[in-house]
Amino acid sequence: MRSRTVIDLYFVNRMQAYGWPILVMVLALGIVLAVGAIVGTQGAEARAGMYEGMTWSGAIFSLLGPMIGYGFVSMGQYFPLALGLGLTRREFAIGQSLLFLGNALAYALLITIGKTLEVATGGFGLQIRFFDVFYTGTGASWQTFVQTFLLIVATLFLGAAITSAFLRFGQPFIWLGGSLLGILGVAMVAGIVLVDGFGAQLLELFTLGWGSWMGVIAVIGLLSAGTWLLLVRRTQVP
Amino acid sequence: MNALETRELSKHYRDVAAIDDVSISLEENRVHGLLGRNGAGKTTLMKLLTAQIFATSGSMRVLGEDPVENAGVLSQTCFIQESQKYPDGFRPLDVMRISQGLYPAWDQELARDLVADFRLPEKRAIRKLSRGQLSAVGIIIGLASRAPLTFFDEPYLGLDAVARRLFFDRLLADYAEHPRTIVLSTHHIDEVSNLLEHVVLLDEGKVMLDEEADALQSAAIEVSGRLTEVDEFTTTAEVLHTARIGALATATIVADGEQTAAAARAAGLDVAPVSLQNYIVHRTTAAAPAAAR
Amino acid sequence: MLDETKPLFIAVAEQIEDGILDATYPEGSPVPSTNELAAFLRINPATAGKGLNRLVDAGVLVKRRGVGMFVAPGAIEQLRRRRREAFTQTYLVPLLREAAQLDITAHELAQMITKEASR
Repeated sequence: MRSRTVIDLYFVNRMQAYGWPILVMVLALGIVLAVGAIVGTQGAEARAGMYEGMTWSGAIFSLLGPMIGYGFVSMGQYFPLALGLGLTRREFAIGQSLLFLGNALAYALLITIGKTLEVATGGFGLQIRFFDVFYTGTGASWQTFVQTFLLIVATLFLGAAITSAFLRFGQPFIWLGGSLLGILGVAMVAGIVLVDGFGAQLLELFTLGWGSWMGVIAVIGLLSAGTWLLLVRRTQVP
Repeated sequence: MNALETRELSKHYRDVAAIDDVSISLEENRVHGLLGRNGAGKTTLMKLLTAQIFATSGSMRVLGEDPVENAGVLSQTCFIQESQKYPDGFRPLDVMRISQGLYPAWDQELARDLVADFRLPEKRAIRKLSRGQLSAVGIIIGLASRAPLTFFDEPYLGLDAVARRLFFDRLLADYAEHPRTIVLSTHHIDEVSNLLEHVVLLDEGKVMLDEEADALQSAAIEVSGRLTEVDEFTTTAEVLHTARIGALATATIVADGEQTAAAARAAGLDVAPVSLQNYIVHRTTAAAPAAAR
Repeated sequence: MLDETKPLFIAVAEQIEDGILDATYPEGSPVPSTNELAAFLRINPATAGKGLNRLVDAGVLVKRRGVGMFVAPGAIEQLRRRRREAFTQTYLVPLLREAAQLDITAHELAQMITKEASR
């Protein structure tokens, strides 16, 4: 099937696509483990404090970070090449979607395995948190799997959708999107400062249950994927 | 049968017409030249025909069908783009392997031969290749794909004289053995003029010439002699270009078959042929002041 | 290599004719194939074919299906006749024009020709 070619295109750069993210993650994990070992010498209290604090550790973004770029690169570099080689937009979209889902599945599995190990071994015996953090879900392992999978899929499709929108509408899209985000931010800050109880309500809104949050991420992912699929069929090679 | 045809095809970018009302037919299994100055719309036309971009209006048929989102047509079409970009880390080897899977008629042996002929470092990152080596990558894919319809957009960029001759000879040899439709877009008109059977000349998005190469070869002649005699002879002719030195003059005029040359000789003037390249240069420069008026 | 003042296929045909006249291709012998000719002259095979077919139409070459093209019997005679007819226009007229410019009379010219031919 010709759509498979899209996957072949990405596997040309195995190291860039998979090697480096995993190596960087291993490096980050090593640093966190070293921190854990140092703090560990300062007594049980310090260790417990660290365990609590590391719930918000963003070290896992060493792995999730490259995913954001991946979505952009798909439309910026691989789309023109795929069309240049005579693939249709439809074939590209199918291959690219399969690749996004496959990537999300693989990385979600990796993180879930890491988290399960981490929890089972008490933070690798050092009371650290790397996989078992807020962003990947601190609940059960299956929850981490669902959460990271949804998060990665949504990120990938969002990146692709944004790049497609840029290719389709050009510079005005960036200005418009940026302005909207800016206005939204200013409105929120203004609301918190000027309107009594606005901040509290906002906080309540954000402290949804896990399930609802997953719903929100899934909706963002679906909307992005839908937008991207719609745009990519009309996108021209620059 | 026609390999491709367009009817009143146009492509506008805001208020600029990159392709303006183009209606052409290219017969299959011939070598066609798509010529014109930079910005004349050659690349845009090829991008339209390979469905990289969408037309603003008009219609087109490529290998008998609409090429847009048509895998059947696009797998039979190979477009070697001068500006094709490759992601980081791509090597010629990778592109050839992937092309092999995409083009049904791919000839791996030919690809191997060409890599050796062009001395292409196939394991070096494409980003680190010279402009000429990058052109060689395109040429190798374009020839080895053996696609029934192959577009070469400026295949000569950065190639040295040896590589240019190599491309010409390998294209000619492979085309003779495996006839297919080839569209050559290049500024090196003299180098390919003996290969072209049919020429389409674009100027500012419009078709300026659409002719058999045979007809173009004798479409104009250069007459020279004494200024007065040249002037007298060319009063009724369509003059494309004139030059004078002292009492002598040279004029490039549109010829009406063999008679014009014979008449010029009878009038005591020297007659010389006008190469396709010079003819096209004169036609495009003659058009510029006409359009400005 | 090819006469550029004429359409390419005519130049191809004339080159083959020259080959027949100077016995490169004797009567009954094969002439190069379209593709051989194209590769050698570095021209499009269709143009080479057009040149060869022009000679077939003129009866200078004969086509044998699946084998190739051969010089027809009587081709040399036919070519000589045709070239003689064109000789005045192609060679004599320019010669006389140049001679006139140099104040060479027709009589002097004839003498020069006889002298040059006897060398």
